[in-house]
Amino acid sequence: MSQRLSTYTLQLLLYGVLATPLVLFAVYAFSERWFFPALVPQEWTASPFARLLSDRRTLQGLGESLSIAAAASLLSLAISFPAARTLGLRAFRGRQAAWLAFFVPTVVPPLAIGMGLNIFFLQIGLAGSMLGVTLAHLVPTLPYTIFTLSSVFARYDENYEHQALALGANPVQIFFRITLRLVFPGLVVAGLFAFLISWSQYLLTLLIGGGRVLTLPMLLFSSVSGGNPASIAALSLLFVTPPVLVIAATARYLGQHGAAVQEQY
Amino acid sequence: MTDVSILDLRKTYPGQAQPVLDHFSLSVHAGELVALLGPSGSGKSTILKLITGIETPDSGDIQFNRKTILNTPPNQRGAVFMFQKAYLFPFLSIAENIGFGLKMQNASKATIQAAVKRMLDLIGLPGIEKRKPAHLSGGEQQRVALARALVTQPRLLLLDEPLSSLDTAVRANLQEAIRRIQRELGITTILVTHDLSEAMSMSDRMALLLDGQVAAFDQPMRLFQHPPSEQAARFVGINTFLRGEVSDGCLRTDLGTLEVCPNRSKPGPGVFAIRPEHIRIESNQRPNALPGIIKDCTYHGEYVEYQVEIPEMSVRARVPMPTEMVPHGAPVHVIFPQEHLFQIKNA
Repeated sequence: MSQRLSTYTLQLLLYGVLATPLVLFAVYAFSERWFFPALVPQEWTASPFARLLSDRRTLQGLGESLSIAAAASLLSLAISFPAARTLGLRAFRGRQAAWLAFFVPTVVPPLAIGMGLNIFFLQIGLAGSMLGVTLAHLVPTLPYTIFTLSSVFARYDENYEHQALALGANPVQIFFRITLRLVFPGLVVAGLFAFLISWSQYLLTLLIGGGRVLTLPMLLFSSVSGGNPASIAALSLLFVTPPVLVIAATARYLGQHGAAVQEQY
Repeated sequence: MTDVSILDLRKTYPGQAQPVLDHFSLSVHAGELVALLGPSGSGKSTILKLITGIETPDSGDIQFNRKTILNTPPNQRGAVFMFQKAYLFPFLSIAENIGFGLKMQNASKATIQAAVKRMLDLIGLPGIEKRKPAHLSGGEQQRVALARALVTQPRLLLLDEPLSSLDTAVRANLQEAIRRIQRELGITTILVTHDLSEAMSMSDRMALLLDGQVAAFDQPMRLFQHPPSEQAARFVGINTFLRGEVSDGCLRTDLGTLEVCPNRSKPGPGVFAIRPEHIRIESNQRPNALPGIIKDCTYHGEYVEYQVEIPEMSVRARVPMPTEMVPHGAPVHVIFPQEHLFQIKNA
């Protein structure tokens, strides 16, 4: 009994720690007047939200953030898939070196990468474009998608594909009907990582976008320097909502399908 | 009906100096079930991979009905296989799994549905179309795997230890089922196994694989009773070999003289062998016997296994349905019945 109680207490504490900033944001975002020493605001309002949503730049930021994060995740998955399959399934010379090379972007300072990329992208005309920013986001997302997927492929059994082959399926049919279906839960998790990393990217967007690509983090930073707590809070809430929804959907999907696929291995 | 010829096949895996298979040849008649029996690492699974096209040989040829298949893509060879694990696609229903091969051939829904039903009846599991593989037992999964393999009426069925992860009762049951279905459909089949009794009970002919080559190839009964070489004999459970000089229907060994069948022995130096089931143990002196001492005895229910020490060699004897056991250390006479002693041809 006491053990269960302490488990509940711990859970409550954990959720509390996670939820407190969000609750604070929410309170701030809806407060009209809130002066010391009142514990809750004296007057409530929805005007910061109204202001935020009527601002054309907010919707543009949301749209660009979503498109860049989605494109970066899909591209990242497409590039990682063959790399991860080879890393996970094959033993070859230089495997350790390849492994290490994929890790490098996570330890090199993003500023260094960003400056270098910026010069290069300026030369080839990608600087300041959505495509340029999306490609720049691949630098931090790729290591995560490659490592997530290669651990999926390390547990992958090629005999499923051999069976399909012997039963008359051609390579394209095998890829879409067997391989993709078997690793789909892994793709979802890797895609989630890529989405979240791209979503919260500030520095690379700033450097490559050069102010012309407007994602939510860019808006958030300029709004922080503006100094209106209610606007900052409202924008922050808007910023955390899509990731929370994506995580919830992923968790729900894995809860339903991940286990069923996993038990076959 | 398809016959299979494997001609002088050689296969080396990358990074390995020694080939797994070298000068490997085997021919399987149409509609026949041939068992490949060998210890692990003898290259028996490799042969199946080469036939399906998952691996390619260094040299040699594989022919179906006298035509090479090495240039045919794996998905058009019509060689299906079953592994130790069923490898049913976990996200598809049983009906979708069985119908997979037909779907790849763009068969109509009605055709697939009818074929699935027919296959489920054949494997004795009617009405499970809508279930998922995870809800079936191991034996049922293997039955479905067999149905899935056979639904397209393939030319060749390859079985790679398909039953070794199942418990004894389910296994015996499935051995019968596979054999019955194989005969019913008349499909040429190659079974890879390391289990002697499985190979003997299921196959028309069996090949012993040792060191990447066929050490013996014959009907199970002939191989079991009169293996052609000492190596093959050891593989089928014979470990009593008597060396000596043959003349006038007698084998003269260092331990004594034994009578052998004159029409089944060649004069000169020779090696004779005998199955442990044919050796008898008596306390009194008998003809064609050598004296020995019981070193060990183990009760197995259907038989007692004795380890008898006769000077400079140890003999294993199996006495069926014993009513009493000869105690450890007792002096006995080991009888080698004349009619059961046979000469090893390739000594």
